Amino acid sequence: MLTIALPKGRLQKPTLERLARAGMIPDEEPGASRKLIVPAGPSARFVVLKDADVPLYVERGAADLGVCGLDQVLESGADLLTPIDFGFGRCRLCLAAPRGKSVSAELGRSLRVATKFPRLTSQWFLRRGVPVDLVHLAGSVELAAVSGLTDAIVDLVESGRTLDENGLAVVEELLQVSARLVVNRAAYRLKVEELLPLLEKLG
Amino acid sequence: MQPATPIPGTQDLLFEAARRLRRCEAALCERFEAAGYAEVIPPAIEAADVFGPEAFRALDRSGKLIALRADFTAQVARIAATRLAGMSPLRLYYRGSIVRRVPPDSGPIHERLQAGCELVGAAGPEADAEVLSLAATALHALGVKGRISLGSTGYFSALAAAAGASPRLAAALNDAVDRKDLPTLRTLCEREVVPGKAREAILMLAQPPRLQTEARELLARAEALAPSEDALQALRRISAALAAAKSPGAELEVDLGEVRGLGYYTGIVFNLYATGSPRPVGGGGRYDTLLGRFGDPRPAVGFSLDLDALVPLAC
Repeated sequence: MLTIALPKGRLQKPTLERLARAGMIPDEEPGASRKLIVPAGPSARFVVLKDADVPLYVERGAADLGVCGLDQVLESGADLLTPIDFGFGRCRLCLAAPRGKSVSAELGRSLRVATKFPRLTSQWFLRRGVPVDLVHLAGSVELAAVSGLTDAIVDLVESGRTLDENGLAVVEELLQVSARLVVNRAAYRLKVEELLPLLEKLG
Repeated sequence: MQPATPIPGTQDLLFEAARRLRRCEAALCERFEAAGYAEVIPPAIEAADVFGPEAFRALDRSGKLIALRADFTAQVARIAATRLAGMSPLRLYYRGSIVRRVPPDSGPIHERLQAGCELVGAAGPEADAEVLSLAATALHALGVKGRISLGSTGYFSALAAAAGASPRLAAALNDAVDRKDLPTLRTLCEREVVPGKAREAILMLAQPPRLQTEARELLARAEALAPSEDALQALRRISAALAAAKSPGAELEVDLGEVRGLGYYTGIVFNLYATGSPRPVGGGGRYDTLLGRFGDPRPAVGFSLDLDALVPLAC
């Protein structure tokens, strides 16, 4: 029995399409009812999760494999195998600031940065030796830079329109994001007979 | 006053949980003794330089840096290299807890119960096989169904050297191999490694594992690609250990991408997986340079078991 962590939200549809092409089809449309676990034939099932929770479910073995963005894989710090890059769900994790404003050392103090990705952000600044004052927010991160809460933000950018409409501009790109297949380390060894055919069809 | 609870990352074991642990330890000790291994009980604190930066450190009264035990193997190496210098072969086992500083949000707890064996002063593949077989016997003794995944850090180092990889590139390649991240491995190779046998061999590291019975073909393909004598020797060591190892109760497989191990591993490396545990339940490898750090350069190979993970699975 394979348990697959399926992300809710914008990754769900393309994930289901790719899995369907590999012959992994849920018995009913996930999200059609309030069911959290959806069987897929006799030997697999889907658990439906927020994509940020996928890495931990898979790391701790409640799911054998799952799909989520590379941003979530790295932000979670989970110890996982990431054998396939699906290529959909593309976006960029970027440092952005109000247009024309300096975010360099000229400030003479720590840079204040708001983000939903504290681990990735602090690692990135640490590697550059830049001291930051991190503000961990749950949403509407752009507002932090617009309202003066912080000097800059680190957030996902798809088209750049939200930034543009709020007078913000990308300063630097931290990470190129796309959807990844994540696999539990032990499941990869212990369920190799079930997993490998699926991985081959997905890859 | 706040109610007192164990520090996060540690736990109390009570009643049946304590009984189970002791029963498992007894079963393991019996097997280790039967295989000719003798117990050593190292102290809970050591000079800090015995361990790496993962140890909890403190200053003693004279201002000397000391550390809580973070690794039994380093302690056994210290003992073997000093009080037991020159006595070969040595077969030693241990049990107890180690404490490591690890990020508390990433799962593994700070204090782990372990048991393990070290075979000191034996350089050959038959020593590798002895330790592999004993690890399999240990899983069997606990009634745990498992798989042992065998690779070699020596093979990876040889490939990285043959490819002329900088330490930064070698670390990036190692990380991609460890995650079976073929897309990243391909990108790194295309950008930074010149085409040739070394590059082909590095790309092969992300191949799925093969069971002992089917491993010969994988190893033969890798041998044909071996870019250096070191790489070829590392592969032959895997083959020889595989041929000599008996693994009752645990399946043995070859995974050339099994590059994860402690920093001092130099040759074969293996991890133990068991049905019911989401992470490895043990691991081991060859460490031919560790004793030299304590003044008695001798080859050695060993393994440790994670009893926190294994005891709940044992019957």
